[in-house]
Amino acid sequence: MPNPKRILIVDDELDIRTYLSTLFEDQGYITVQAKDGVEAMQKLQTENPDLITLDISMPEKSGVKFFRDLKSDDQWKKIPIIIVTGVSEDFKKFISSRRQVPAPEGFVPKPINREEILAIVKKLLI
Amino acid sequence: MTENPYRNYFEMMPAYLTILDRDLRIVEANRRFRRDFGDFEGRYCYQVNRHRSERCETCPAERTFRDGQRHGIEEHFKNLSGQEVSLLVYTTPIRNDAGEITHVMKMATDITEIKLLQNQLRDSRERYRQLFEEVPCYISIQDSNLRILEANRRFREDFGDSLGKKCHQVYMHRTDPCVPCAVKQTFEDGQGHQSEEVVTSQRGEHVNVLVSTAPVRNAEGQIKSIIEMSTNITQIRQLQSQLASLGLVISSISHGIKGLLTSLDGGVYLVNTGLSKNDRKRFEQGWKMVERNITRIRRMVLDLLYYAKDRVPEWEQISALTVAEEVCEVMRGKAGELGIEFQCEFDREAGEFDADAKAVRSLLINLVENAMDACRVDSKKPNHQVRIGMKGYPDRIEFEVADNGIGMDQETRERSFGLFFSSKRGNGTGLGLFISNKIAQAHGGKMELESELNRGTRLMVKLPRKRPFPAGDAAKK
Repeated sequence: MPNPKRILIVDDELDIRTYLSTLFEDQGYITVQAKDGVEAMQKLQTENPDLITLDISMPEKSGVKFFRDLKSDDQWKKIPIIIVTGVSEDFKKFISSRRQVPAPEGFVPKPINREEILAIVKKLLI
Repeated sequence: MTENPYRNYFEMMPAYLTILDRDLRIVEANRRFRRDFGDFEGRYCYQVNRHRSERCETCPAERTFRDGQRHGIEEHFKNLSGQEVSLLVYTTPIRNDAGEITHVMKMATDITEIKLLQNQLRDSRERYRQLFEEVPCYISIQDSNLRILEANRRFREDFGDSLGKKCHQVYMHRTDPCVPCAVKQTFEDGQGHQSEEVVTSQRGEHVNVLVSTAPVRNAEGQIKSIIEMSTNITQIRQLQSQLASLGLVISSISHGIKGLLTSLDGGVYLVNTGLSKNDRKRFEQGWKMVERNITRIRRMVLDLLYYAKDRVPEWEQISALTVAEEVCEVMRGKAGELGIEFQCEFDREAGEFDADAKAVRSLLINLVENAMDACRVDSKKPNHQVRIGMKGYPDRIEFEVADNGIGMDQETRERSFGLFFSSKRGNGTGLGLFISNKIAQAHGGKMELESELNRGTRLMVKLPRKRPFPAGDAAKK
């Protein structure tokens, strides 16, 4: 890949970060990890990602809060976000709590279907 | 000569009228008396009225002869048909021109019907009292200041002697009335009101009650007081909570399993791609992920089994030091992986205690895992420590697990032993501390928690040396 795209993986579970990171790197992407919303905000400043995969349920700053902050900020709102969550109920809450911000660009339920997430990532990073 | 009109009145009076001489002989009687008691000529009062041969012990006529005053008494006469009638008897002196009492007039009013009604009223009151006392709910009568004027037996048993005290003092242990207050509302609009409250008994137990009020009115229709009936619905609420918990556990397990499967799938991906790329480091990393998540699945299943069934402890006498060292051994590796400093401080002379070794091990591992998780998610400190301690006392063994992780705020502390409460969001099933507490309780022991947000947490488990139930009762428990 001549100009590799950069993906920020936000999940509080180390094994899931390792998994997604390896999966994406095998496809030629560069990955950066954050274990919660607070760390993700820091990484956003330094790493300039092209796409974010975001877990909803996390300690410290939740995925919902991070999403709302990011999508309300002119500087970052164009970065596509894929929600990766284990509880569909979480996603429903996430959607209903979303006010004055657009819908997330992608949604992948856990356990992750590799082909599905890779296809969404590829489509969003064209 | 015209007939004396008083004679007519005497005859027509709707009461029994008799004139007695000093010997208590009936010298005159009106029509009603003659109708119901028959011939009186030459007979004594006690013969006719009571069918007896001697004077009565208390005779109002005798007293009137003696003191010249009117006297009244309630008596029971037997009429011609042998039926006993209740009478209210009054005696009045009749004097001659010299003012001497020559006769006594005895007027007896039939109060049999009234007596019957009185008895019915007494029976009815008795039944009401019995119902009030024995009904299986809390009943109190309150005035407009919410003071308790009366309370039934169930109320007194659970809330103590509350007469004169205010409802909210007794039920809620506080000085301010409830908002809204069903009793006040009933005083205002005269209607019954319902509400659901959680009240506290004198033993400190929380009781869910369904409160209903109704006005108690006087003869003029004014509201005098309010009757408040509270039905204990604690068991219903507990059942509802258990059903809700069941829904939560399914949702929680489903979430947990999805996370574990994702991590397991990730491990498998790393193993497979490690093999195909001949990348040993990646293979080993993947394999560790697989092992770690299999352990987590096993733990989740064990926790669920403990939740699903009240497991009877498999009692044996075990060494406190051995069980503590086993836990230390198992958890040291994980602490190393997470970069957490792990300290074990054990009383080597603690001795033995009665316990289910597997359950106690599981309890302690749960606590150490929680402590490590609290460190893992804490990004505010450069170094983290988890310390496990054990000390023997004459009557008990105390275990302690302390960490300097994220700690808990007050709300988290208060809810931490509850079912399905997890401060770890997606990572916990919410069963860990609940199960640990349940194990401690099954051993007749208890758990105590001290925690401060951003400072860390200290959990103490106190287990008695002797099993709480005799051998025969253990199985029943």
